[in-house]
Amino acid sequence: MDRSRRNFCLGAGATTIGAVTVAAMPAAAAAPGAASPRRDGDPAHRWAMVVDVGKCVGCQACTVACIMENDVPENSFRTIVSTYEVTEQGKAGSYMLPRLCNHCEDPPCIPVCPTGATFQRRDGIVVVDNTVCVGCAYCVQACPYDARFINHETQTADKCTFCVHRVEAGLLPACVETCVGGARIFGDLNDPHSAVATLVREENPKVLKPEQGTQPRVFYLGLDPRFQGKVDGTPTLWRPTSQPHSQKEHA
Amino acid sequence: MDNHIVEVINVTREVAWLPWAVQYFFLIGLSVGGLLLSLPGYAFARADWRALGRIALLVALTCGLAAPVALLSDLHQPGRFWHFYVVLRPTSWMWWGSIFIPLYVTVLLVYGWACFREELQAHGRVDSRLAALYRLASLGGGRNDALIRAAGLFALAGALLVALYTGAEVAVVKARPLWHTPFLPVQFLLTALAGAAGLVLLLNRFAAGNDRAVEVRANRLLAGVLGGVMLVGALWLALGLFGLDATHAEALGSVAGSEAWRVTAVWAVAATALPFAIAVAKPAGTGLLTGLIALHGAWMFRWTVFIGGQTVPKTGAGFYDYALPAGPEGLLGIVGTAGLWLFLLIALTAILPSPRRPAPAPARAPRAPAGPVAAAE
Repeated sequence: MDRSRRNFCLGAGATTIGAVTVAAMPAAAAAPGAASPRRDGDPAHRWAMVVDVGKCVGCQACTVACIMENDVPENSFRTIVSTYEVTEQGKAGSYMLPRLCNHCEDPPCIPVCPTGATFQRRDGIVVVDNTVCVGCAYCVQACPYDARFINHETQTADKCTFCVHRVEAGLLPACVETCVGGARIFGDLNDPHSAVATLVREENPKVLKPEQGTQPRVFYLGLDPRFQGKVDGTPTLWRPTSQPHSQKEHA
Repeated sequence: MDNHIVEVINVTREVAWLPWAVQYFFLIGLSVGGLLLSLPGYAFARADWRALGRIALLVALTCGLAAPVALLSDLHQPGRFWHFYVVLRPTSWMWWGSIFIPLYVTVLLVYGWACFREELQAHGRVDSRLAALYRLASLGGGRNDALIRAAGLFALAGALLVALYTGAEVAVVKARPLWHTPFLPVQFLLTALAGAAGLVLLLNRFAAGNDRAVEVRANRLLAGVLGGVMLVGALWLALGLFGLDATHAEALGSVAGSEAWRVTAVWAVAATALPFAIAVAKPAGTGLLTGLIALHGAWMFRWTVFIGGQTVPKTGAGFYDYALPAGPEGLLGIVGTAGLWLFLLIALTAILPSPRRPAPAPARAPRAPAGPVAAAE
């Protein structure tokens, strides 16, 4: 039952000590593909997230927390809350959709990697070893969710890691920790009593782009099908000043 | 109906495969195309194809040597290229590419040397300070058709592997419907052949003595290849338009609503149909025009696939904006690669200048003295 922060911390406390011990080891970076317990994760867990879209208020606290926690460079995002104005029968409302790496069961970003820099840990978290990555950006192309980007400080592929360093220390990912509405729920799918396992089992959550066959492990409650794939709408209102926005009726 | 969605906040993902990648796919395609066009004249020793084959070989060598530099530059960590070679990653077409490219370039160089050996030997016989170097480069031998054929067949195998991997590498990306089509590798190969024929026409004009027979032959070849390009393009469009294939319908659907993409489509059709019509109607005297358009078409195709393809958001609404940066990640990369290619062309044609054509020489010989005679009269 790791829905609350405290229970999660208590439950994962035991692994924390081990994780801290292993953390003292130097990163097994020099040889691409080298393995170590810290790199591979614990197969006893399968980390996942459930996003309750109805609870998201679009405050972007998760976006900011992620940037601060992971030192994400300017103009780059590991997570963001896509925000839409939806007009139906003349009535306008907002729709918020937090986006992040889906830590897919069958991640298309991994087989394309020519160096093995990106890999899936045994606990399901997809990570990039940025000491091995050559920055070819093939994984950026292969991700159907636009979740990857080139970090221009490291010049390597970058993405959400479910805050793997925090999870190993028994903490929640920064975005979950900071979510004011409790819209992001993180936990272990292998634990049948966990909040995520219960929600996935009982609430029939949706995933983004199911037709891609990637089997995402980020699930959505209350996901409007119009936002499940590429959104059919007017792109962001912001435009460079040289390109005035053509559709003025929303003003 | 007043139902619509406006995206208020979202991330814009910048292009991750830069114009360097466009240059790489363009140059390696031209090299493969050039190699294929050189084979009849050299590997299969067809005398009537020899002159065209020599220019095609220049295309294959200069583009084949410049291409890997562009590819290396597209890596954001180029100094780590050796990471490709210390792992086994057979699931990645890019990893296969890292094996195929050096293989191809090596056999291409051997094939090029075998083809030019006869010329190296001839230069070695001339009384000059460099003669010894030429003799050394020819390794004391001359034309050896068996060697040329063997090297040519190996180079052909390498070229086919490169064509396979470059096409498959992009076509397997399911996340981009525009790329994820089995037609793409065929389109890459055909437009590469058209571009190579175009460059043969240009080099024939500017770097190889403007041979009329070569021009006519290359223009006819170009027309044939462009016919193929139009056929495959029409098939792709038909599969998408009539919804016969979900992938193609999705690919078409992802760009059909955009004015810019419609203009690009008209442009592409014009850049294919126009040189096709000119090359069919008047294969002589039009090589410069058809060659330029064909070369531009091959480049445009890659620019549209790579840069255009990356401006289609995978989740966001509409399209991402792209403005060509002036620095190394944009214009400078394009100009720099073009400059490297030009340097290689100048170097190669300086070492191996175009041989004087024997055929027109006797025809002109009587005319040459006729001038002063006429003047004297």
